[in-house]
Amino acid sequence: MIHNSDMTLEVQGLSVSIHTRKGTTKPVNDVSLRIPKGKIIGIVGESGCGKSMTARACMGLLKPPVKIESGRILLAGRDLVGLPESDMCAVRGSEISMIFQEPMTGLNPVMKVGRQVDEAVRVHRHIPASKARQETIRMFEAVGIPEPEARYNSYPHELSGGLRQRVMIAMAMICRPALLIADEPTTALDVTVEAQILRLMKELNKAGTSILLISHNLGVIAQVCDYVYVMYAGQILEEAEVCALFDSPLHPYTRGLLESVNSLRREEPVLETIAGSVPDFLHLPQGCSFSPRCGQCLERCASGEPPLFEPEPGHKVRCHLYDKDTSRI
Amino acid sequence: MRQSFLRRLAESVVILIGVALLIFIMLRVVPGNPIEIMMGEHANQSTVDRMTAELGLDKPIYVQFFRYITGALRGDFGTSYSLGKPVSSLMRSAFGNTLKLSVSAAVFAWVIGILCGVLSAVRAGGPADHIFMGFSLMGVSMPVFMTAMVLQFFFGYYLHWLPISGSGSWRNFILPAIALGWNSAGAISRLTRSTLLDVLQEDYIETARAKGLTETTVVLFHALRNTMLPVVTMMAIQFSGMLSGAVITETVFSINGIGRLSVLAISGRDIPLLQGTVLFSTAVVILGNLISDSLYSVLDPRIRREA
Repeated sequence: MIHNSDMTLEVQGLSVSIHTRKGTTKPVNDVSLRIPKGKIIGIVGESGCGKSMTARACMGLLKPPVKIESGRILLAGRDLVGLPESDMCAVRGSEISMIFQEPMTGLNPVMKVGRQVDEAVRVHRHIPASKARQETIRMFEAVGIPEPEARYNSYPHELSGGLRQRVMIAMAMICRPALLIADEPTTALDVTVEAQILRLMKELNKAGTSILLISHNLGVIAQVCDYVYVMYAGQILEEAEVCALFDSPLHPYTRGLLESVNSLRREEPVLETIAGSVPDFLHLPQGCSFSPRCGQCLERCASGEPPLFEPEPGHKVRCHLYDKDTSRI
Repeated sequence: MRQSFLRRLAESVVILIGVALLIFIMLRVVPGNPIEIMMGEHANQSTVDRMTAELGLDKPIYVQFFRYITGALRGDFGTSYSLGKPVSSLMRSAFGNTLKLSVSAAVFAWVIGILCGVLSAVRAGGPADHIFMGFSLMGVSMPVFMTAMVLQFFFGYYLHWLPISGSGSWRNFILPAIALGWNSAGAISRLTRSTLLDVLQEDYIETARAKGLTETTVVLFHALRNTMLPVVTMMAIQFSGMLSGAVITETVFSINGIGRLSVLAISGRDIPLLQGTVLFSTAVVILGNLISDSLYSVLDPRIRREA
């Protein structure tokens, strides 16, 4: 068990709700995450499983009708839930920062990229413009942007996708935050650029930044993460060290995900898929949310929601199959 | 960019000459002899013929047009039939009043319109939004003459705060500016609101928030400039419309501006004056579009490169 002071961020029992006319949904339901210092933690799951919503909740970026229902988000021991907006502004970009999926649309089209980056450092450190400019150019160099001085005056449309994502990373990293949340940072990029960006993130991590990497891409997760959470329908279904998860996945959903990854070594001509589709949050199934799609569904899966079991040390799974108390099966 | 501006300028000159030709021909094919209208019912034929020759109206139409264009290039737009004064000097004095009215109406419309639009968008769905949008809806749906008369009755006749008509002092222009500007303010605030709401959904706004900027900074420095792109176009079109003569406002408030001059010219079949005012309005609209296009490329770097 890692001691609390070694945690950059700890999310405890986080639930996020959306109130709509059709009813209240819970896109994030009792999620707990631990991000130890200097580690890269991954969240993997299909689109709409609540992974981005969890990240936005950590950044305090949820806007009504989306709100945090319950839970705590501890940043170095301080609870961010319920923090006044002005305090949250001081945290954002300085202690936690975030990069988004779309480098194409993530930068303001009418502002020079350099100005957009040094704005982050000026708002948090109140330094003069000339000094902020120097910092930005140094940061551009650090994230591998060629000709940083010239690029400072470029507009986003003048840069390639890879360069824009580097600018986004420079913007996120310029205040040297303790935690970087990367929400699908390479999804919109081609594979060679993806490899470069992942390498850059690993370097940043070595320099001391903890990273929460959100992806639907198991390959990306396997390449860079230390520890992985698997999310489905707003819940964590499985969590483990990256090797343990990929070598011996426990949850039927995780196994399904891994089987549906294409591989060069694959012999079967047909790619495995998980039958059915992600449930509608307004009509979540009774019991285990994965049960309608699960091949190993037990009778009680449809009635009782399983808790997190820990069949192996450090490897947790939310599935009745791993209930040691066999008398209940 | 300069090249494209020059090309647009050349195009504008061609359009202007085209409009001059069109209005010239149209005024001469419509029935009704201007000389007869000018001289009244009881003028004898020899006087009418003498006047026609004097004004050059007996010459072939292409000669008349050539004379008109060469004169216009020198700043001579002929003499008004009904007022007996040079058209250029009549328009110059009328334009002064129209300019005062348009500028005050436009400033009112822009300030109120953008302010209401922004406040409505950031408080979308709230009471402020409903109040401001109700105010805008009234502006766009109430006819200008009605707004004008209500203002005249309430602030002029009932409260005695402001003069009802005339164009003597700056106080004369307050009510007309509101009457004329409210309509534009309504349109601008609705466009600002809807565009800003769209812009606030953009990814780069989330990026700006994630940087730790306050919501005010996000709206004013990141969202507003992107919002202004379509709004600026609308503002320029409205402003050139006002400058080319707010006919109703000028008439209701008895302001001697371009709009009233046009009405006078039409009712009196005053060909030189009508040609002058139409040509002037065309020039103002073309200029307005030219300015809005240039502003667009100042605001949006992506257009700068394409141009």
